[in-house]
Amino acid sequence: MRIFWLMIACLGGILALLAISRVVRELRPNPELKGLPMTSLEKLGWIGLAVTALVVAGIAGLVAIVGVDGFHEDPAARFTFWLLLMGALGIWGLAWARLRRDGGSVVVDERDRAILARSFSVESMVVLVSLVAWTVSLTEVFWDEGSIPIPYIQLLFWTTFVGGAMGRSLGIILGYRRELTVDA
Amino acid sequence: MPKAKIQNHIRRLRFEYGEMTQQELAERVGCTRQTIIVLEKERYVPSLSLAFQIARVFDRSIEEVFEYADE
Repeated sequence: MRIFWLMIACLGGILALLAISRVVRELRPNPELKGLPMTSLEKLGWIGLAVTALVVAGIAGLVAIVGVDGFHEDPAARFTFWLLLMGALGIWGLAWARLRRDGGSVVVDERDRAILARSFSVESMVVLVSLVAWTVSLTEVFWDEGSIPIPYIQLLFWTTFVGGAMGRSLGIILGYRRELTVDA
Repeated sequence: MPKAKIQNHIRRLRFEYGEMTQQELAERVGCTRQTIIVLEKERYVPSLSLAFQIARVFDRSIEEVFEYADE
């Protein structure tokens, strides 16, 4: 059984590396698009990616320091967690308000809307992978106990939520690097 | 990146039309300057609505602004 899970972990690692290499390749500077000014939505995509990456790092650090059970019992850890989330939301909201103000008469046009619509496919993929990974791992870890502790359910939700937001930001950024045709 | 099949003469028409800037054209048709830039680079195919609006700015028919090019 242990070998089975090792194989699954290796397969997951290989798929993750392939996905990351694909993303890195897509994010390489494109000489044909050099000098292209960023749109408001593209700037928001980069801000969203940075903010969600910080939140993920923060959550990972919290869990590493206090553990999942300790996180639930320690009020300071919970406060830090909520501060991270609210802070991220606040920064994102302020950035969007600022970009709307500085964006001129047109903040989001048809091309931006099409890119935004397609970015949800990346978000959906991240959410799906996260849910599958959590479901499989929690089932196997807590099968004998017959129940899953609440902190893990919370962690499942928040990591999937933040991961989805990160996926959407990434989808926006990748969308600007691809040729796009709007269906009339 | 493969080129779009739809080619256009937006850049030439902008200069013929009193050296209109990309920003001015973008504001007149209701899109961002980046969209005008990628349009001129033929890296983006506009919707019919946007294509008609651009043609209307230059007082031309849509066929005079956009061409469907065989690859």
